[in-house]
Amino acid sequence: MTEDFDVDELGFNPAISATGADPQEAPQRDRASSSLGVRRRPRRAVWRRRFASGVVLLIALIGMGGAYALFASSSGANTATSTAADVAAGQQLYETSCITCHGNNLQGVNQRGPSLIGVGGAAVYFQVSTGRMPAPGQGAEMTRKEAKFTDEQISQLEAFVQAHGGGPETPTGNLRDTTLSLGQGGDLFRLNCASCHGFSGAGAPLSAGKLAPTLKHASDTQLFTAMLTGPENMPVFNDNQLTPNEKRAIIDYIQTLKESNDPGGSGIGRIGPVSEGLVIWVAGIGAIVLIIMWIGAKS
Amino acid sequence: MTHSTANVPGPDELREMSPEEAMLVGAESGGVHVVHRRERYPIPGTKAEKRAERGVSFMFGLAALAGVAFIVVFVAWPYVYHLPGEGSQRFRFYTPLLGGLLGLMLLGLGFGAVLWAKWLMPEEEAVEERDDEPSPDEEKLMTAATLSVGFEDTGLQRRRMLVGSLALAGGALATVPLVALVGALIKKPGNQLAHTLWGQPPEKYPNGVPVIYSDGRRVSPNDIQAGGLATVFPGVPGGITSANTPTLLIRLRPNQSVKSRKGQADFGWGDFVAFSKICTHAGCPASLYEQQTTRLLCPCHQSQFEVLQDAKPVFGPATRPLPKLPLGIEVVDGTQYFVGRHDFVEPIGPAYWERP
Repeated sequence: MTEDFDVDELGFNPAISATGADPQEAPQRDRASSSLGVRRRPRRAVWRRRFASGVVLLIALIGMGGAYALFASSSGANTATSTAADVAAGQQLYETSCITCHGNNLQGVNQRGPSLIGVGGAAVYFQVSTGRMPAPGQGAEMTRKEAKFTDEQISQLEAFVQAHGGGPETPTGNLRDTTLSLGQGGDLFRLNCASCHGFSGAGAPLSAGKLAPTLKHASDTQLFTAMLTGPENMPVFNDNQLTPNEKRAIIDYIQTLKESNDPGGSGIGRIGPVSEGLVIWVAGIGAIVLIIMWIGAKS
Repeated sequence: MTHSTANVPGPDELREMSPEEAMLVGAESGGVHVVHRRERYPIPGTKAEKRAERGVSFMFGLAALAGVAFIVVFVAWPYVYHLPGEGSQRFRFYTPLLGGLLGLMLLGLGFGAVLWAKWLMPEEEAVEERDDEPSPDEEKLMTAATLSVGFEDTGLQRRRMLVGSLALAGGALATVPLVALVGALIKKPGNQLAHTLWGQPPEKYPNGVPVIYSDGRRVSPNDIQAGGLATVFPGVPGGITSANTPTLLIRLRPNQSVKSRKGQADFGWGDFVAFSKICTHAGCPASLYEQQTTRLLCPCHQSQFEVLQDAKPVFGPATRPLPKLPLGIEVVDGTQYFVGRHDFVEPIGPAYWERP
C-alpha cells in the first residue's frame, strides 16, 4: 500500500501529497521545483496562455483569409474594339509618347528602343493595351501595368505604326471560335506554352530576372497578338506555324481554364506544390502542433 | 528490478478489499506508484458534471452526424464534369466535401476521447520505477552458464567439418535471394538509347525524314518567322508520340551567326537550327526559348543552353550540349519542306552508363 512507499525515493515533490492528505488543501511550496506539476499555476497565467493561443488562432485565420483573397483567381476579359484608324492622330500620340526611344522615323534609338518598322498593329496593340509601353525605363523585362491610352488612342497608334512598314494586324471577331476541341487546345498549350507560362498559366521565371508572366489578366486579343508578335523574349508564333484556328483553340483553352473553379475549392495561386506545401506546413502542421499541446496540457 | 512479491497480500485479503484498493496494490507490486488519484465529480449528478458529459457526447454526436452526411454526399452529390457555363459547377466540391466530412468525423471522435479524459475521468498521476539497474549476480551467472553449456552441446567448437559446411550453406542462403532480386534489375540496353526515330534507313526515306508539326503538317521554312520556335517531330509512324524525338526548330535573325561545334557546321539550313528538346541533364523538355538572348532554358533545374554556340550549356547543371539535328530541304510541288538528313550524331538526353 502507499505507506510502504517513501516520497523521498521519488526524487521530486509530487503535486499532491501521496500520504492521503486532503486533496482540497493546497500543499505548502516555497520555492520553484522542476518536473511533474510542481510549478505554480495561478489563474492569471492560465488566462494569459489561453489568450495567447487565441491570438495565434486569430492570426492563422486572418492569414488564411488574406492569402485566399490574394490568390483567388478572378477572370476578367476586356477586348478592345478598334474603330476606323486615324494615322495622323496616331502620329501625334507617337510624337508625344514614343519618339524618345523609338526614333522619329520608327527606326529605333541605339541602347533605348528597337525599330518599329514592320512590327505591325498587333504588336502595338499588345504592348500598349497591357501597359508595357510607354516603358517607364530600361530593365530586364517590361511588365504589365495600367494602360496609359484609351482604346481609341490605341487604334490610332496601331494605324500609324501599320502605315510605316506593315506587319501583322490585330485580329477581330470571336477569338474563341475554333474547329478544334478544348482538349486539343490544351495539347497545343502544353506543347508550346506551358514550359514558360506554367501548366495552369500562372507564369514562371526565365533566366536573369526575366519572367513569363501570368495569363490571369490577358484578354483574348492580347493572347492572340502576343502569340503572333512574340513580345520581348517570347518566341514568335507565325500564322503559318500555329494557324489562327490553332491559336484560337489555345485561347479557348486558356480562358476556359481561367474561368473554371479549382477542384478542391481554392487554387492557392495555381502554382502547385510550393503554395500547397506552405499551407500544409503552416496551417496544417501548425494546427496539429496546437492540438498536441492541448492534449498534453494539464487539466 | 525491485518488484518485491513478499508484501503482496494473499487472495483472501484481496477479495475483501474494494476494487480501487486492490488496483492500487496491483500497481505497487509492479513498481507503479499512484501518487495522486481523485474523482473530478465526487458528488454525482451536479450540474457541472452533466454539462461536461453533454460536451463530450456532443463531440461524439457530431462525429456520427458527419458520418451520415458522408454517406449522403457520397451517394447524392453531383460529380459529373461540366464546362463553366454549361452546367452546375457543384461537382468541384465532391471530393472536398467527402474529405471534410471524413475529417470532421475523425476529429469528433478524437476530440471526444480527449475531452472524456480531461473532463470526466478521475485525475490520476502515477510514477513508475525505472528498471535500469543491472541484473543481480545470480541471474547473470545462471544465464552465462546456460548459454555456454548450450554452445558446448552444439559441438561446433570441436567439429571442424561441420562448421565449414555450415558456412558454405549459409553463404549460399545469403547469396541466392540477392542474385534473384538484383539479377532481374540488370539488363543491358544495347544501343537502343543511342538512336532515335530520326534515324531511318536511307532506302525508305531517300530524301531524308520529313519534319512535321504535332498535327502532322510538314514544316516549311516560310512558316517560321525570325525569332520563332516550333516543336517538330519526324514524319514516321510513332514519331509524334515517341519520347526521344521532340526537336526544337529555331529561326534566328539574319545578323545572328552560330559558332558551331566540330563537324556540325553544315547541320543548320539558312537561319534555321534544330536541337533535341530533351535536356542533357535529367531529361526535361528544355523548350523555354528566350528569343532576344538566344538562350534555351530548361525549367526543371535551370540549365541554360546558348543557341548561338550550338546549344552549349552556359549555366546550370547540364554539361553536354543539346544534340543538333542535320537539316535539309526537299522540294515537293514547288514548296520547300524541311527534312532530317540523318539521326543525331550522339545519344540524346541524359547520360547513362554505357553511353558511347
